[in-house]
Amino acid sequence: MSRASSRSVALAVAWRAIHNFLTNPAFLVPSIVFPLFFFTAFAGGLSTIGNVPNFDFRSGYTAFQFVFVLLQSAAFGGVFTGFAVAADFEGGVARRIMLAAPRRGGIVVGYALAALTRALITWALLTIVALIAGMRIDGDGVDLFGLYGLALIVNVAATLWATGVAMRIRSIQGGPLMQIPVFLILFLAPVYVPLKLLTGWIHAVASVNPATALIQAARGFISGSPAHVALAFAVAVGLVALFALWARGGLRRAEASS
Amino acid sequence: MIPSRPASIEASALVREFKKGPRAVDGIDLHVAPGEIYGFLGPNGAGKSTTTLMLTTLLPPTAGSARVAGYDVVREGPAVRAAIGAALQEAALDPLLTGREHMRLQTALHGLPRAERAARGEELLERIGLREAADRKVGGYSGGMKRRLDLALALVHRPRILFLDEPTTGLDIQSRAALWQEVSRLAADDGVTVFLTTQYLEEADVLADRVGIIDHGRIVAEGTPAQLKSQIGRPSVEVVPLDAGQRGPLAAVLARFGEPTGASPNGVAVRLRGGERDLAEVVRALDAEHIAVEHIQLHAPSLDDVFLAKTGRSLEGAGDQPQPEEAANREPIAAHSGATA
Repeated sequence: MSRASSRSVALAVAWRAIHNFLTNPAFLVPSIVFPLFFFTAFAGGLSTIGNVPNFDFRSGYTAFQFVFVLLQSAAFGGVFTGFAVAADFEGGVARRIMLAAPRRGGIVVGYALAALTRALITWALLTIVALIAGMRIDGDGVDLFGLYGLALIVNVAATLWATGVAMRIRSIQGGPLMQIPVFLILFLAPVYVPLKLLTGWIHAVASVNPATALIQAARGFISGSPAHVALAFAVAVGLVALFALWARGGLRRAEASS
Repeated sequence: MIPSRPASIEASALVREFKKGPRAVDGIDLHVAPGEIYGFLGPNGAGKSTTTLMLTTLLPPTAGSARVAGYDVVREGPAVRAAIGAALQEAALDPLLTGREHMRLQTALHGLPRAERAARGEELLERIGLREAADRKVGGYSGGMKRRLDLALALVHRPRILFLDEPTTGLDIQSRAALWQEVSRLAADDGVTVFLTTQYLEEADVLADRVGIIDHGRIVAEGTPAQLKSQIGRPSVEVVPLDAGQRGPLAAVLARFGEPTGASPNGVAVRLRGGERDLAEVVRALDAEHIAVEHIQLHAPSLDDVFLAKTGRSLEGAGDQPQPEEAANREPIAAHSGATA
């Protein structure tokens, strides 16, 4: 008789996913290289944007961009995990896992644990590179805890979103559907300049974009002047709750048609 | 005949209907006793795999009910999954993991205590003969190795009921024989109930205690292989005379033993009225009439005959078998050239 529990299933699923991306560079490298590339391009190539009038971010443009790239890597780390889930359905491994799992919610938790591990590796490297590049951190330990904590919640939300899509489509062809909404939400936020410097329709969209609250709060943490913290965490937790329901629906759909 | 023992697998009017498709499973009833090997035989698309998916909780039924290990497959899925092991049609293996890593994954998935995991994995790898290949990535395994590994993975938690969906499809003769041996051992020694789907007549005949024949989603016949074959009737004997001119006298001799049935162009065949025991009499009668025989063959009724009788057509895919069921069901008792029987 199986003694499987949601915990054993989650740990086994996480172990396999982590093992695979640690032993196959092709799975890990993109999730590290893309954030580093974006950071280098944005913080380096666009650093003079920090000199425009009314750009009053006291920690400098490198820190300003670091925060965005950190949250972006958190979100896309979740999307990459969605790709892995879809590939597991396509290849049949998901069926093996579904058969062994008494409570199948553990499967989603396992994938989320793997996504977090991947994100932590990426963030460690990104932070080291940013510090080498001269990033200023004005926030204290508590602020940094808030910054990385927020990124962590974003990662979980994105993982749940992408997993929900993957479990509905059960094919890697669902990749664009996981990726494009995340891409749009992130880039319709104040990426290169603060919200107050945006004008026209982009300002209107960014003002109501939930990602704006997350980015502004995270920038507040690194600059040591936290702002909109409660709103940001409420948005992040709300997204997790919403996408948890979405992922649960995906799991139900997969259970009904695997 | 339905066994009186409590069932390991029980289904009642089980239906699975797909959107815009036919009923893949159309109201089947099943009763599989503990420790029994139940062969679920049918051609491609008959509904075998869909039934297996429902019984293993991977697909909800559209109507009807099923209980596995005493648990309802819809309402008590977790309990069903805890009691069963399954090796489904496509060996769902991760090409990036080694055989040993698969064992680690599966033992962890099933919550085996950490201390037991390695030992159980090694025991099963040894049993299926994959210990030497255990550290190779599964992507480089042959089809037979993957099937064996898949079977071993289904056994890590010592399930009471094992579902095998076409486990030998595409395997060579040696791999098939090894797998049959292991399945038989599991049922005989460990008391595991085995639900085996197959399109190979020989597999069902050799392995299964009872066979259910499914076609177009319905069970068209069920019983032990012997019972099913006896429903069809008696064996036939076909004789090819050495001299084609003796076909007339040969037919007259054979007519004493039964009614004519289909034969090869040069031969004469009758369905033996007295069954297999008439064969010796046939040989003696041919000898007495001095009819020289080139070839004489006894054809016992096969499960394909059962399928033919129940559905009006031969079992699809039977021709795919590397070693046709003829080896088991056709028993050439003599193949003399120029000899008098």
